[in-house]
Amino acid sequence: MKKYLYVIKTQIIKSMTYEFNVYGNIIMQTIIMITSAYFWRALYKGQGMVGDVDAESMLTYVVLSSVLSVLLITNVERRIEKSVEKGTVATDLMKPINLFGVYFAEDIGAVIALVFQNMLPILIIGSLMIRVPVMADVHDLPLFLISVIESFLINWLIAALFGMIAFTAVNIDALIQVKKHLLRLLSGSIIPVWFFPAGVARVLESLPFVYIYQLPLSIYIGRGTRAEHLRQMGIQSIWLVILAAAFLIAQKKAAGKVMVQGG
Amino acid sequence: MKNLFRELIHYLDVTAHVIKMAVMTVIEYPSNIAGWLISNPLQFIMGFAIIKFVVESFGQINGWTYGQLAFLYGLSVISHALSMIFFVQGWFMGYYVIEGEFDRYLTRPLGVLYQFFFTNINIFGVTDLIPGILVFLYGCVKCGVSVNLTFLVQVMITLIGATLIRGGIYILLGSTSFYTRSAVDFGQYTQEIMDKTTMYPLSMYPESIQFILTYLIPVGWISFYPAASMLGTEGVRSGLTVSLVTLGVGIAVILIAGAFFNRGLKQYESAGN
Repeated sequence: MKKYLYVIKTQIIKSMTYEFNVYGNIIMQTIIMITSAYFWRALYKGQGMVGDVDAESMLTYVVLSSVLSVLLITNVERRIEKSVEKGTVATDLMKPINLFGVYFAEDIGAVIALVFQNMLPILIIGSLMIRVPVMADVHDLPLFLISVIESFLINWLIAALFGMIAFTAVNIDALIQVKKHLLRLLSGSIIPVWFFPAGVARVLESLPFVYIYQLPLSIYIGRGTRAEHLRQMGIQSIWLVILAAAFLIAQKKAAGKVMVQGG
Repeated sequence: MKNLFRELIHYLDVTAHVIKMAVMTVIEYPSNIAGWLISNPLQFIMGFAIIKFVVESFGQINGWTYGQLAFLYGLSVISHALSMIFFVQGWFMGYYVIEGEFDRYLTRPLGVLYQFFFTNINIFGVTDLIPGILVFLYGCVKCGVSVNLTFLVQVMITLIGATLIRGGIYILLGSTSFYTRSAVDFGQYTQEIMDKTTMYPLSMYPESIQFILTYLIPVGWISFYPAASMLGTEGVRSGLTVSLVTLGVGIAVILIAGAFFNRGLKQYESAGN
């Protein structure tokens, strides 16, 4: 455990060194957040409730989605790709520490740094310029926090599984892009799935993606009843277990493959 | 005069060779082509599907119907694709500055700006072009646009202007690396901001933002004003005027960007000591 804490610490320090990138990110994410706020304002002009949500809640959704997106940044897929490309993966595997444990610890470290570097500034800017994202029902807070943790894990596992493709394919730049777009469009991070046609929405609700963004955010803005939220969190947990199992199996296989490649 | 002509011929000759080389490099990695062939169209087709869903739930965005939005979106994606083919290098300029890659260009007897962009022509941009054209044609059909000579000329002039505006902005942003000496990857964010400001009607933003996007960062001319003019919405002038303004803005932006690039290049000190 101590080893991983050390990795987390180094990653935090590493992330803190690139100051210019931090300001750049904040400015860019602010612009994106504000433009989406105007997009929704224009849509809701002269309309009350659309898709069981009013304009106010939708703006909360936008602010919180931007905040959450900072937490859901993963680097594991690029990390794997790089280490396979450069061949460092062989020496990494020799170390007396789990390779994916290190990648996970690195991503945790990066996210901890980002909470202060990006998340809080974006939350403050969003509150000042768009709307203070007040939670619909404070009693849902525990549910919200648990679902955020689960969504973080699901997101990371999907990224790690994608990254493992690099063990055989080596170059996965295009695949990473495919994954990024799929995730952005199918997770409700930009546009909630409830605006989609009923059939499409139903299909998406059986996939893991909506449980990354949309579930925590709907709990936060209070869309749907608590019973519905609990049921959806059940599905979220099932996906977490499935992905974790897939990850463990794939990890064993992938590690074997790299050994063979190394000779 | 004769010298200038010879130089121009020389540049065209080099360009032809460079394009041939670009095609050859692409063919060398077939698995990579497959990846981009899926990834790029997917992004735009899904983006467009989502606009469809949202607009159908709400009826319209700021008075723009679904067909008109398809027209706007298509126009924007086509110019995006063209700028990806010719100017995508601007996104990576930071790396070139940090790694000292400009040394190579400085030693050759051709313009550095020309070499930087044209020796790296990105044939993959075609994968953006196809969905763009499809969505645009779909929008034309939905809006019942009458295709005549004026319309075609309008579209051509607009696309040239719009591509130059986008390219100029990439060069301007990329050239900041000469001064900051950092390798910020502008690409992803630039694209997202450009998407948001060129794929939806500009009139949905408050007047202050509209002012900025019309006069200071002229992205409004990439798709919004030309589309409004061709479709006759928002009370924008019809006819060739708007397209010609777009072309003018595009030329102005690219000239400013070129000057900024050349000024930055003087500060360039290569990598190391």
